[in-house]
Amino acid sequence: MKFLELLTKIPRRIIFLILAIFVIFPLFKPLNLTTKVSIRTYDLFKAIDNLNGEKPVLISIDFDPQSMPELYPMYLSILRHCFAKNIPVIVLGLWITGVGIGEEGLKLIAKEYNKEYGKDYIFLGWKPGITAVILGLGRSLKETFPTDYYKNPLENLPLAQKVETYKDIPFMVSISAGSPGYGDWIAYAQTRYGVKIGAGVTAVSAADAYPYLQSGQLTGLLSGLKGASEYEYLVEKYGYSKAFKSATQLMDSQSFAHLIIMILVIIGNIGYFLLRRKR
Amino acid sequence: MNISLDIWTWISALLTLFIFSFLYGDNPFYKFAEHIFVGVSVGYTIAITWHNFLYPDLIIPLFKQGNLINLIPAFLGILYFSVFFKNLSWMIRIPIGFVLGYGSGVAIPAIFQANIIRQIQGSLLTPKLLERTDLLIASIISLFGIVCTIIYFFFSREQKGVSKIMAKCGIIFLMIGFGASFGFTVMARVSLLLGRLQFLLRDWLGLIR
Repeated sequence: MKFLELLTKIPRRIIFLILAIFVIFPLFKPLNLTTKVSIRTYDLFKAIDNLNGEKPVLISIDFDPQSMPELYPMYLSILRHCFAKNIPVIVLGLWITGVGIGEEGLKLIAKEYNKEYGKDYIFLGWKPGITAVILGLGRSLKETFPTDYYKNPLENLPLAQKVETYKDIPFMVSISAGSPGYGDWIAYAQTRYGVKIGAGVTAVSAADAYPYLQSGQLTGLLSGLKGASEYEYLVEKYGYSKAFKSATQLMDSQSFAHLIIMILVIIGNIGYFLLRRKR
Repeated sequence: MNISLDIWTWISALLTLFIFSFLYGDNPFYKFAEHIFVGVSVGYTIAITWHNFLYPDLIIPLFKQGNLINLIPAFLGILYFSVFFKNLSWMIRIPIGFVLGYGSGVAIPAIFQANIIRQIQGSLLTPKLLERTDLLIASIISLFGIVCTIIYFFFSREQKGVSKIMAKCGIIFLMIGFGASFGFTVMARVSLLLGRLQFLLRDWLGLIR
């Protein structure tokens, strides 16, 4: 009886300790579990891979540092994919606290692929008024963002000359930790202007994003750390990058953590049901 | 072992450990890190708002280009501060009215189209689905789940017979949905922990590659 009671009342600090041991262990001794790429990730990869590089991809940084472990690797992998294929990139953000992350990642990967600012990529930064920004891009990029993040007039940047509205953007990706994010891009850019959209989302919001795949409103979806790891795998497999795969490094630990949590849930339930029967 | 010599990595690592100390219990180190986080976030937000928006979109057009039309949104924005003055606080209703009016006008048709019309279209069985068996099966299950779940939430009539069975199926679909959401939530929280552990063990202590 006492043992059964114990099963239902494991102190939380013991659970934290068990979890910590099991997630740290694979970081030192990687198991190299295989990566199986989901169709959703592959669809997003293919949507970018099929572009010819004449027109830019728009990336929206809709997250902040709190979601970096899941979303930042996605952002870097997508940038690597675009730059390796000589696809220009325009980056902006709907989250004010994501501006620094967007700029840092863009500079890092542009340097890796020797890309030139203004010609190969532009960073627009952030502006308030989510719907006004998204709808504004459908009317005129230069009116919505007269200058880039560094105060350069867009009319002086060669890449901006190629883009007037969404019709010049064959694909956009919203890397999103919630709202504002992919939902706003779907509601205003996809529904109104027919923009082809892919999304990279945190695992928490992945379940909410799935219905948009079935309806064709999203072209592809990266879900959490697993999605990031799958994209890293594809970018490497197709020879676009040999960079360190930070999301992939964490996937063994992620699998271990899931296993431990499943075991704990089962133990807790067995204890609960046996205890209830005894009473 | 290759410990980082970068001061910012050390600050970041120590703040991470301060936050993790909450796992043991509330303490001054956790509070210190929490306050720093709030302060930095607010300061950063103010700086970006000034440099990315207020200065280029209001100050320059108004004072350097003489676009007096910008006085209208500036005045509406300033009215938000009327909330701090008891006898003027009613004026905050003016900008809120504009925001609500604009927001509703723009959002209602777009959200209705994106989240209801297109989702209904996405739930329908179309001839295109016959091309792939897996998609067809998934769509049939999905459609059945939608109908059952909607019946579960149909309270205008007593549920008995077929509708009761379907409502019970609706509960099962809801439970599966909640389970999937919980699983994803666990995955997300573990990912955040792993991200920090990766930073501590790799970027700070250099214990892993």
